[in-house]
Amino acid sequence: MNRAAQRNPFKKILFMLSCPVFLATCCVYAQLPTPRFDDGTVNLGAMKGETGHWNSGVGNLSENFVEMDGAYLVHPEEIDKVAPFRPWAKKIVQERLATLGRDDPHPRCMPNGGPRQFHTPWGLEIVHDRSSERILVMSGGANRSWREIWLDGREHPDLETYTLTFFGHSVGHWEGDTLVVDTIGYNERFWFARRPSGMPHTDQLHLIERISRPNHDTLHYEVAIDDPGAYTRPWTAAWDVPWTSFHMTEYFCQDNNVDLEHIVGPQ
Amino acid sequence: MDNYFKKCCLRYIGLLFSLGLAFPASSHHSFPAQYDAQKPITLNGYLIKLEWRNPHVYFYLEIEEEGGFEEWAFEMGSPIAMERNGWNRNSVAVGDILEVEGSLARDGSNLVNANSVVLVESGRRLFAGSSRDD
Repeated sequence: MNRAAQRNPFKKILFMLSCPVFLATCCVYAQLPTPRFDDGTVNLGAMKGETGHWNSGVGNLSENFVEMDGAYLVHPEEIDKVAPFRPWAKKIVQERLATLGRDDPHPRCMPNGGPRQFHTPWGLEIVHDRSSERILVMSGGANRSWREIWLDGREHPDLETYTLTFFGHSVGHWEGDTLVVDTIGYNERFWFARRPSGMPHTDQLHLIERISRPNHDTLHYEVAIDDPGAYTRPWTAAWDVPWTSFHMTEYFCQDNNVDLEHIVGPQ
Repeated sequence: MDNYFKKCCLRYIGLLFSLGLAFPASSHHSFPAQYDAQKPITLNGYLIKLEWRNPHVYFYLEIEEEGGFEEWAFEMGSPIAMERNGWNRNSVAVGDILEVEGSLARDGSNLVNANSVVLVESGRRLFAGSSRDD
């Protein structure tokens, strides 16, 4: 220990104790509070007169931490840390990663169902339509599509007759300040995560999403994935999506999508 | 303030900076399936067309090669990314001479993912707007 610290050891202890307190104080006061409607319900969207939307989150759909380079695993042998894949599902995700996402429906302008909507570039808006008791989650990127979450107490449809869709059928309710969304009825024509690329699912996919807004600038997204067709047990992932004050500018993937003939994968 | 306290403060500030720099960048979507980051290229030429459209801005240069001219295409980020970084659809005009650095397409075509664009006449460097993050 140097002379200064020897002279006054309490200074060192005081400094060490004050750092986290100072940091936590800064964080609390730097963040605006969670916006709410007049009845106290959390507003997951913009406030009156405000411009902004949720930017694309940077999280990975992975059960455990794995080092990533964009949408790809730095260490491909860590694939079992991502999810409890069934053998066919593990094989297919490995193939899709090895071919650098060449066959991803996303560049073909297909909708980004499931958790992928929460980390696709150009973000999303969440609008609570209180007149019809539903929440709309509108993508800013991809083909600018949107999904609806019913809050009016309705039940899921009969999957025997329901036409399977990219966004499935979602019903939600509030548990305190957290929106809990239950979704079934997905088709298999999209890759349901951007990171890692190529995550497979089947039409048995059942998601429970928990969406909260701990402060004005943060959307916390948690998802529980239950798909016995592709995974050996249910598993979870979570990430934060940051608020941006930019307007969600018009974007349509279909406008001038000239890349497709050049997406060839490793040569 | 003694030296020990100053050193602690500096370490503390350094920690904050390193945390700030540790925020991960956005990931790619089709970039690695379309371009090879290990094949950088620099090209000069006349701007003959600008497509300020989604999902990605494209521009085309006429580039002097041995025995004539060849047309090359350059891909950038989306107009949203360009505009948030100071570009607009009038930042360059047909006839401007541009120097572009980027990565070659994997399929061997005259296509580059631009990550740096310089207006040769003024030396002004325009935003590096690769579609890598888009």
